Amino acid sequence: MSRPASTWVREAAAVFAKEWRSELRTRYALNTLALFAINTLVVVSASLGPLGAAPGKGSEALPVLLWLILLFAAAAGLPRSFVHEEETQTATALRLAATPSALFCGKLAYALTLLAALEALVAPLFLAVMNLDVARPGLLVATLAAGGFGLAAGSTLVAAIIAQARGKGTLFAVLSFPVLLPLLLLAVELTRGAFAGAPPGVALVQLLLYDGAVTTAGLMLFPVVWNP
Amino acid sequence: MKRTVASAPRLLLWLWLAAVIVGAFEYAPLAAKFIGQSSRILFFHVPMAWAAFTAFITAGVYSLLYLFGRRPPGSLRQARHDRAARAAIEVGLLFGVLATVTGAVWSRIMWGAYWNWDPRQTSIVMALIFYGAYLALRDSVEDAEKRARLAAAYAALGLVVTPFFFFVVPRITFSLHPEPVINARGRIEMNPRMLQVLLASGAGFTALFFWLHDLRTRVLTLAERALEAAAAGAYPADAANVASALGARASAAPHPNPSDPRGAGAADPVAPSPRTSNW
Repeated sequence: MSRPASTWVREAAAVFAKEWRSELRTRYALNTLALFAINTLVVVSASLGPLGAAPGKGSEALPVLLWLILLFAAAAGLPRSFVHEEETQTATALRLAATPSALFCGKLAYALTLLAALEALVAPLFLAVMNLDVARPGLLVATLAAGGFGLAAGSTLVAAIIAQARGKGTLFAVLSFPVLLPLLLLAVELTRGAFAGAPPGVALVQLLLYDGAVTTAGLMLFPVVWNP
Repeated sequence: MKRTVASAPRLLLWLWLAAVIVGAFEYAPLAAKFIGQSSRILFFHVPMAWAAFTAFITAGVYSLLYLFGRRPPGSLRQARHDRAARAAIEVGLLFGVLATVTGAVWSRIMWGAYWNWDPRQTSIVMALIFYGAYLALRDSVEDAEKRARLAAAYAALGLVVTPFFFFVVPRITFSLHPEPVINARGRIEMNPRMLQVLLASGAGFTALFFWLHDLRTRVLTLAERALEAAAAGAYPADAANVASALGARASAAPHPNPSDPRGAGAADPVAPSPRTSNW
């Protein structure tokens, strides 16, 4: 821990680069996330039918669907970054090579970029397919950014926990959804406001507080989760 | 002699709660604007919710103690903190379910439906789901030290996340729930007699929680010790069955975990599981 800050940054950047390099070799998470999100979007849009096209009618329920698509896509792709380390037994090497907090930040940055890419793909498609008008585009972007950050931070910590347990896939859903529920409620409320043109109010502050709280908890708890 | 001394507080708690029950029905008046006798549920429902809240905070504190508490140099984390955290969550879930059920019964009388996603109902259900997930996590880790560590981290995360339920949810939806005892204006607007019974009941339920918590922790400790002894061959296999029925779970992995550089075998004071050796 007493290593200089530059070493720490270099370690975090190395973890981040390693994650993307191994991701680009297999493109497992990218394919899973994108295909999962598009599949769900098609199912949602096809089953809603013309309701999605009626302006004002669906704007109460549609933000919920957008965030559910993002949540489930994240649950399908994000846990892999830790589960893979345990399955291929590379976790020990990683424990020796990097400071836990640097490792956490590297993995968090990876999850963050992955989610940002997913949001950049899903959100415009969703708006187009549902024929939605956004009254406050800035608020929508801010919500996607803050919500994506919280989603990445919560998922990264829970993924580190479940990677060491049995029944990883289902356990990730069981453990992460209660953690991510406040985020989901706030993000849905803000997205609804962005569609309808309502001011963000205190919800955006609470969402940012949630992001800060979960990131701090992650930085404090990750070392004990990661190292015996 | 020692037993008499130990049971004196228990007798006092028993008398205290009996007095609370009598007070709730005979001493406290009925609240205005409530159907029939339904306001009397206040004296049991609110303290149950309070006890559940106390339990989850207690579990968080013991989890933090387990993870970051002081330990003698070179020694392992103290398993008793882990047992205390687990016991607190189990008892807390009991009180939480009771508070939810009594609330639903009252809601049926006053609002006409058992469940209507009132913010209070939503928050408590989310808290119950969170701590239910904690128990699910415990059941899916085999190594005792790892199980304790991961579960403690999750419970500590709960300390950070669950307060958001209480801030966020009530703001989003409209609530029919009666005002908290200390309302938003910072004043206590309640009949003094009702308040006396409520506070007495709150104290009684808090003591009840700590007593149950102590019992559960001791049962877990004894069960684990019995399991250890049975694995060493001191008891017949039946004793081990009883111990695991009481909630003790030894490590099922007799070999050191390959992903654990220090060796899980050394980190775990409990001997290999009787499931593999004695059954």
